[in-house]
Amino acid sequence: MQKTHTNIFIDDAPIEIGVLDVNMHFVKCSKLWLSKLGKTEKDIIGKSYYDVFPDTTDEVKKIHEYCLLGSYISFDGEKIINKAGKVQWFNYKINSWKNEKDKVGGLIIVREDISFKRNEEEYRLKAQRVANVGGWEVNLISNEVYWTNITKQIHGLDDTYVPSLENGINFYKEGYHREKIVSLISEAISNGTPWDEELIIVTVTGEEKWVRAIGRVEYVNGKAVKLTGTFQDIDEKKRADLERSEIEKRLNIATKTANIGVWDYDLARQELNCDYETLALYGAEKFTHKSLYDAWKKILVEEDKERVINEMHFAIQNDDEFNTEFRIRTKNGKVKYIKSIGQLHKDQNTGAVKMIGANWDITEYKQVVLKLDKRKESFAGVFNNSSVGMALIGLDGKWLKINKSLCNSLGYSKKELMSLTFQDVTHPDDYLKDLNFLDELIAGKIDNYQIEKRYFHKKGHTVFVILSVTKVTKIDGTLSHFISQVVDITSRKEAEEKVKAVLKITADQNESLTNFAHIVSHNLRSHSTNLSMLTGFLINETDPEERANLINMLNESSDSLDETITHLNEVVSVKLNVLGKLEGVRILETFDSVRKSIIALLNENNVILNIQIPKEFVVSAVPAYLESILLNLLTNSIKYSSPKRRLVIDVKTRRERGKIVLTFSDNGLGIDMKRHKHKIFGMYKTFHKHKNSKGIGLFITKSQIEAMNGKIEVESSVDIGTTFTLYFNCFK
Amino acid sequence: MNKVFSACIIDDDPIFVYGTKRIMKEVGFSEEIEVFENGLDAIEELTQKSIVEKKLPRLIFLDLNMPIMNGWEFLDDFIKIPEHIRKDVVIYIVSSSIDPRDIERVKTYDIVTDYILKPVTPKDLKNMLDDLSV
Repeated sequence: MQKTHTNIFIDDAPIEIGVLDVNMHFVKCSKLWLSKLGKTEKDIIGKSYYDVFPDTTDEVKKIHEYCLLGSYISFDGEKIINKAGKVQWFNYKINSWKNEKDKVGGLIIVREDISFKRNEEEYRLKAQRVANVGGWEVNLISNEVYWTNITKQIHGLDDTYVPSLENGINFYKEGYHREKIVSLISEAISNGTPWDEELIIVTVTGEEKWVRAIGRVEYVNGKAVKLTGTFQDIDEKKRADLERSEIEKRLNIATKTANIGVWDYDLARQELNCDYETLALYGAEKFTHKSLYDAWKKILVEEDKERVINEMHFAIQNDDEFNTEFRIRTKNGKVKYIKSIGQLHKDQNTGAVKMIGANWDITEYKQVVLKLDKRKESFAGVFNNSSVGMALIGLDGKWLKINKSLCNSLGYSKKELMSLTFQDVTHPDDYLKDLNFLDELIAGKIDNYQIEKRYFHKKGHTVFVILSVTKVTKIDGTLSHFISQVVDITSRKEAEEKVKAVLKITADQNESLTNFAHIVSHNLRSHSTNLSMLTGFLINETDPEERANLINMLNESSDSLDETITHLNEVVSVKLNVLGKLEGVRILETFDSVRKSIIALLNENNVILNIQIPKEFVVSAVPAYLESILLNLLTNSIKYSSPKRRLVIDVKTRRERGKIVLTFSDNGLGIDMKRHKHKIFGMYKTFHKHKNSKGIGLFITKSQIEAMNGKIEVESSVDIGTTFTLYFNCFK
Repeated sequence: MNKVFSACIIDDDPIFVYGTKRIMKEVGFSEEIEVFENGLDAIEELTQKSIVEKKLPRLIFLDLNMPIMNGWEFLDDFIKIPEHIRKDVVIYIVSSSIDPRDIERVKTYDIVTDYILKPVTPKDLKNMLDDLSV
């Protein structure tokens, strides 16, 4: 019965169990083991263990022999690779059994498949090796310390190193790290607190290394007997982490100070995440994550909404860059311009697709751009409509742009002027002046200049302008172009010239009036002093002969006074305005009538007259003046003719620059030009010892011709002759 | 009173010359009075005299406004006579001109002693005579 029970027990045991005799033949074997081996009872019972397991090593055989002596042993067998190539690990528990005679009847062998456990262990070790994780143990009773090879390697030691607790601690970096590990260990021993800490050790070669130290205490009967733990080289990762956190920190500072907000939009969840900066940008700290996307859409300015959302969808669908600008209306009603840039990004771990982007406030920039646009617009308006000529000129001197006023001033069409350079239309005398200033402008010595210069009109006449040139620089400070402003002052200039001419005439007339006044005063004084002197003599004179002489002189003197007053009267009448009395006079007709009036005198002096005056020459003159002038010139020639030769007079006329020029030449005594040039036409100037010289004729001639807006010039050589040149205006 | 001063009048106005000569006689100038009608006649004669006789009149009355050669031109030529010969000559400009430009211009000629506005009075001549006698 007992036996049967034993049989049942063995047969149906839920473990692999076998009973062997002293000869190591199978007596019994559990069905489980049989099925594992793929055999039946017949194949096993009575057969030798070593026949069933031919690979059994000698070492195991020795264990068997040892157990047959009456011992119990449990051991893990070696790795077995079965026929299917599967790695198997077994644990054997072997005990001897005793028969009725209390003698060892054989062995009971229990085999347990621990492949799963062992593989796990193997993987763990492998993983540790790969992850650079070492192990260690400190026996708190014996103070023995055990380090795995990897632990040694991490410390830079070779496998033969024998560690101690103290040495182990000393590997930690002096200061914080060493103090930390000491406190962790003592805390663990006294309170059982495990630790997991990242610390720095200094290896044998002096290299600093980040390690992750994990440790815990093992207790037996409430007493701490062992410290065990792992030791992992995390240097690379830690440094990378540190670096990353540094970069992250920097990025945070950068985005914060630059007011750049960062956002991401999860496509699948339709969820928008924003950083603090973005929220601040939109002035929307109250947004919840769920409603953020909708809230964002709501805050968009209506006109921009559809466009921006379309752009976002387009970017998502085409994996394109989202790059746009839009306006939002903040809570206080202000409109902000936002620039937003995003890009699709696939998370490698989760596979989720997100659009990640950044956005920032560009309101200020936009406002500047708008302002600039307005300025450009107003500049264009000024440029095109200014009454001042304006041009943009390139550094090469070519026009970049010219306005209508400039074209009008210079008489060219826009197209014509554009094909010329400013050099082409500049008066050559002003070119260098302009260029010198331009050089200074380019050299940066001045920022602008203003000069008065001359251009040529298309028709050839001079255009007077005030030119202002200002330089325009690019952002980098280099020259871009010049702005020229051209104020046409031609009419002003002409008026100025006219005023100058009028001033000169006035000054001349003033001068001649002053002279005249002095001459009058001089002449009248001469006579009056003579008269008073003579009467003074007469009062005291008793000699009748001398009295008669004095009375005679008084008479002469009063006659002279009368004559002088007549002269002065003539001069004054010439000085009166005659412009209204000017009329067209044929020179030839006037000359003929003068000639006839003195024909007796001409004949008496045997004068040869050569006259070449075209009939049609009509001058603008006062007829009486022209007669007076011609008469004076003729009688002068006769008066100052040379006694050595027959008098010849040549009279010619010609046209010259809109004037009619009459030349009157004789071969008479001539005048010493060196001495008398400046006083020939002066009043009471005579140059010849001639009884009839009064010094009034040429003075009046000059006055008369000037009164008719003409002029008179003289050339003469002593004893050769005199030529008068008279300029008259044509009669229109 | 010393009457041996030689004098010279250069003026184109015969009545002025007559009157001046008459007053000169009255106040006691020398009888020796030369008269020239214009600057040219005067300078020709005086230059000749300076060469031949090495002597010039002690006193010259010079008019400014004269035909052919006026007083200014005469002065310009007169300066050309060697200084040692003309240094004792006293020249008075005698003119009817009250033109300030003329009066200013006279001051630029060192050889001119003074400017006398016509007519020449006996008092003027007496003062002159006293100055010359010193």
